[in-house]
Amino acid sequence: MDLFKRLNEDVRFREGLKACMNCGICTAICPAAEFYDYDPRVLVTTVESMDNEEIESLLKSDAIWYCGQCMSCKTRCPRGNVPGMIVSVLRKVSQELGYFTESRMGRQQYAIAKTVGDNILSYGYCVHPSKINPGLHPEQGPVWEWIFKNREDIYTRLGANFDKPGAGALRKISREALDELKAIFDETGGTELLKKIEEFSLKKAHESGFEPNGTTEDDYFREVYKKNDHSGIK
Amino acid sequence: MKSVVIIGGGVAGIETASALSDFGHNVVLVEKTDSIGGKVLKWDHLFPDLKSASELENYLDIKCREGNFAIQKNTTIAQASQSNGKWMLRTDNNRVIETDAIVVATGYEVFDASRKEEYGYNIYDNVITSVDLEERLKSGKTITTRAGYLPEKIGIIHCVGSRDEKSGNHYCSKVCCITGVKQSIELHKLLPEAEIYCFYMDLRMYGQYYEELYREAQEMHKIQFIRGRLSEVSENIDKRLLIKAEDTLSGRPLKMSVDLLVLLVGMEPGKGTKSMAGICGLETGKDGFLKTSDMHFGNNKTGKKGIFLAGSCIGPMSINDTISNARSAALEVHNYLQTK
Amino acid sequence: MTEAHQSGITGIYPKEIAADNYYYVRSCIRQNFFPGSETAFLKIMRNVLGKNIYDDAVHTTCTGIGYHSDIVPFETIQTVVARQFALMTEKGFENLAVSCVTSFGIYCEIVETWKNFPEELDKARVNLKKATGREFEIPRNIAHASDIIYKFRREIAKEAKYSLVNCLTGEPLNLVEHIGCHYAKMFPEMGVGGAEFTSVLSSMIEIWGGAVVDYPERRHCCGFGFRQYLIQANRGYSISNSRKKFESMEPYHPDAVICNCPGCTMFMDRWQYVIAEMENKTYGQGGRGIPVLTYEELAGLVLGYDPWDLGLQMHQVNSEPFLDKLGIRYIPSQKYSGKDGKIMAGPVIPACIK
Repeated sequence: MDLFKRLNEDVRFREGLKACMNCGICTAICPAAEFYDYDPRVLVTTVESMDNEEIESLLKSDAIWYCGQCMSCKTRCPRGNVPGMIVSVLRKVSQELGYFTESRMGRQQYAIAKTVGDNILSYGYCVHPSKINPGLHPEQGPVWEWIFKNREDIYTRLGANFDKPGAGALRKISREALDELKAIFDETGGTELLKKIEEFSLKKAHESGFEPNGTTEDDYFREVYKKNDHSGIK
Repeated sequence: MKSVVIIGGGVAGIETASALSDFGHNVVLVEKTDSIGGKVLKWDHLFPDLKSASELENYLDIKCREGNFAIQKNTTIAQASQSNGKWMLRTDNNRVIETDAIVVATGYEVFDASRKEEYGYNIYDNVITSVDLEERLKSGKTITTRAGYLPEKIGIIHCVGSRDEKSGNHYCSKVCCITGVKQSIELHKLLPEAEIYCFYMDLRMYGQYYEELYREAQEMHKIQFIRGRLSEVSENIDKRLLIKAEDTLSGRPLKMSVDLLVLLVGMEPGKGTKSMAGICGLETGKDGFLKTSDMHFGNNKTGKKGIFLAGSCIGPMSINDTISNARSAALEVHNYLQTK
Repeated sequence: MTEAHQSGITGIYPKEIAADNYYYVRSCIRQNFFPGSETAFLKIMRNVLGKNIYDDAVHTTCTGIGYHSDIVPFETIQTVVARQFALMTEKGFENLAVSCVTSFGIYCEIVETWKNFPEELDKARVNLKKATGREFEIPRNIAHASDIIYKFRREIAKEAKYSLVNCLTGEPLNLVEHIGCHYAKMFPEMGVGGAEFTSVLSSMIEIWGGAVVDYPERRHCCGFGFRQYLIQANRGYSISNSRKKFESMEPYHPDAVICNCPGCTMFMDRWQYVIAEMENKTYGQGGRGIPVLTYEELAGLVLGYDPWDLGLQMHQVNSEPFLDKLGIRYIPSQKYSGKDGKIMAGPVIPACIK
C-alpha cells in the first residue's frame, strides 16, 4: 500500500504539507519538542521523503502521538506548512490501519474513545461532570470533589439548567438532538472509527492476556490510561 | 546627440550616468533626496574585503565631478508619457523633461523588521538590524546595550524578511549572509570577549572570497554558527533577550539569552521602484522587483522601448554586482540610442 | 516594550466583529467548570449592552475535543459544525458567538477548508441532509465571546463599579493575559491584534484600569494538549507547560491571570494546586496561588456582580486576594452555598495552597 498516497487523499494533508526547508522554526517553539523526545521538523521531512517503510514505521511509533495540537507551528512556518495538521492525518491513518496499537501512546486512543467518545454520543458533550470521576482526576483538586458531590446545587446556583430540558448550561440534550448526532456519526465514518479503535484495541488486549469488558473499569483501560510503560503488553 | 534620463542617484544611477556620458550622450541624473550616493553613504565597511565605504564614496564622488552629466536633486518623477518616439517626463514641480531613453535605477528598501513582530524590533530595547549596527559602527561609538553595558553575548539572525512566506517575501536577499559574517568579525574585533552566535538556515557564500571570510570568522574570530532559524524573541526582566531556535544539526530545541540581537534584514523593492513601475507601466516579477525582458540575455531591458533598468530595482544585489549591472545597462542604452 | 508598540497593533489585523444578533454556542469545558461565566456573558450581553443573543437548547458540542484527540474524523466534525450552522440559520441568525476557543478554531478552520476545497463543503451539505434533513448557511460573522466583550469594553467601562486598581496603593493591578492557542495561532487575522501581540484581553485590561504583564513565555501553550491531558499517563506534559509559564511570570508578581480559553483557565488554576502538592511551591504571595479568571469573571467583577454568582468558588486557587486588592466586598459565608442560598459545607482546603 502506498501510504503517502493514502495520506495525500486527506485535504488537510495537502493543506499542511507544502515543502519543508528544514529551518527548525517549528521545533523551536513546539511544546512537545521541549518535553518529549520529539522533533516535528524530522517528522515532516520523514513524511516528505515518501519512503513507505519509514512512514509505516512512523505510524506504528510513539512519535506521531506527542503533538499537543497547539498549532504554534502553523503561525511561524516560513513555507506555510502545518506539522500539527500532518500529525492529525498520520494519526487518522494509523487508527484506520490498526497500527496505533503497536505503540504505547497510540494504544491510549482506546481510553479516549471510551471516555470522550462515549460522552459525545451519550450526553452531547465532550466532557460531562457526572463522568469526571474525582478518582480518575486527582489533579482536579479538592474543589472538584466538592463540586462533584454537590453538583446539582452548585450548577443550578450558577444559572445552569443542569440536566433539565430546555436551554442553558449543562442542559439535558434532547433525545432527538442526540439521535441526529448519532446519525451524523453513522453517516460520516465517526461510528466506524470508534468501532475500529475498539476492535483493534480489544484484539491487542486479548493477545496480551487482558480481559477487557469494554468499560472504564477494566484492566486494559486502566493499563493504557494510567501507565507510562506497557510492559504487560506484547 | 541623444539624451538619457537616469532616475535614482545611488551606485547604479551614478555608474550608468558616468558610463553613458563617457559614450558622449546627454545625461541627466534625477535624485529624490538631497544627497547623491544612496544607501552606501551609511555603510562603514564593505564585504568581503572590509574596505572602508569611504573609498566607494570617493569613487562615486569622482564619477560625479568628472562625469559630464547633470544632477538634479530633490526631484521626483510624477508622470511619464511617449510622444513621437521620445519620452516625456514630468517632475513633481511640473517641469517636463524630454528624453530619448530612460534608465530606472531606483534601488531597494530594507525590510522593515517591525513587520516580523515575533522578533521584537521596535518593541524590545536590544533588538537592532544590520543597518542599525552598520550606522553604529560607522559612528565609531562603543557598541553597548540600550542600558549602556558591553554585550557579552550577541546573536545575529539570518533571513529576516527573506525566504519567508509570512513576511510576504519568498526570495533570498543574497547579501545578508555575507553581511552577517562581516559584522560578526567586526563585532569580535571591537568586543573580543563577547560570544557571537550566527543563526542561519543556509550560508549563502556565493561571491568571490565570501567562503574564505566565513572560514576566517570561524577560525580567527571563533564565531559560532548554529543551523537553526530564529522562531521567537522575548524579553527577560533584565532586558536580555530570550531567543528560541532549533539546533537542527543536533535535532534539539535551543534557548539562549543574549544581550544584543542583530537582525539581518533583506531587501525589498524600493518605494521609488514601486512607483516607477506604475508611472512607466513596467512589469514586476513575482518577487515585486522590476522585471527584465530576459534574466540571462536581456537583464537591463524592459518590455517598454527606451526604458532600461539598472541595479537593485531588478533584484537584491551586492555593490560590485550593481556596478557591473550598471555598466551593462549603459551599453544596452548606448546600443539602443545608436539605432534611433 | 516601546510606546510605539503599546499604542496597539490592532490596526494591522482589523477583525470584523458583529455588533448584535448573535447565536450563542456554548463550551463543554466552560459549562463544566465555569458555568457562571457563560451566565455572566449572557447577562452582560442582554442587561448591560441590550444585545439580542439567542441561547439554543438544540445545539450540541462541536466535538472539538474529540477531533483534536483524533477519535472524531474530519468529515464528522464538519457535519456536526454544519448542523450547528443549520440551527443558527433556522433561527434566523447570521452571527455566531462562540464560547469556547477550541470551537472557535474549529469553526474558522472548517470555513477556511470549505473555501479552499469546495468539494468538502458539498460533502458536508450532502452528509447533513442525509443524516438530519437539515440545510445550512455559513455564518456571515464568527466571533469569539471574548471578541464581543472586547468590542464593547468601553461600554462596560462606563458601567463599571470597580477599576482594576489596587484599592490600597492606587496602582494599576498587574495582570497576566493568556490567549488560547486556537484563538489566533491558526489564523492570526481572526484574532484581535494578530497572533504575536494579541490584544483582545490586554485592551480590556487596560481600559478597565489594569496593567498588562509581558513575560518571556507569554505566548507559550498552557499545555492542555488534548490527549496529553485526557490520558493520565501523559499529564506530565500538560503540567510542565503550565509550570514553565508560572516560573516565567513569577518575577513580575502578577495579581491575577486572565484567560480567554476555557481549558487554559482550568489548567492554569488546577496545575498550581498540583505543583503546590508535588513541589510545595506556590506562585502568589503568602503561600497562595495566583488567581486565574475568565474574562467574563473579570468583566463581572468590574461591573460589581457578586463573585459567588460569577462562580469564583469553583476555582481551586482562591480569588480572595484579588478581590481584596480590588476592594470588592463579598460575603465569605455565602461562598459555598447551593441553590436558593442553601448553606453547604465547602471543599477541603489543601494545606499546600491556601
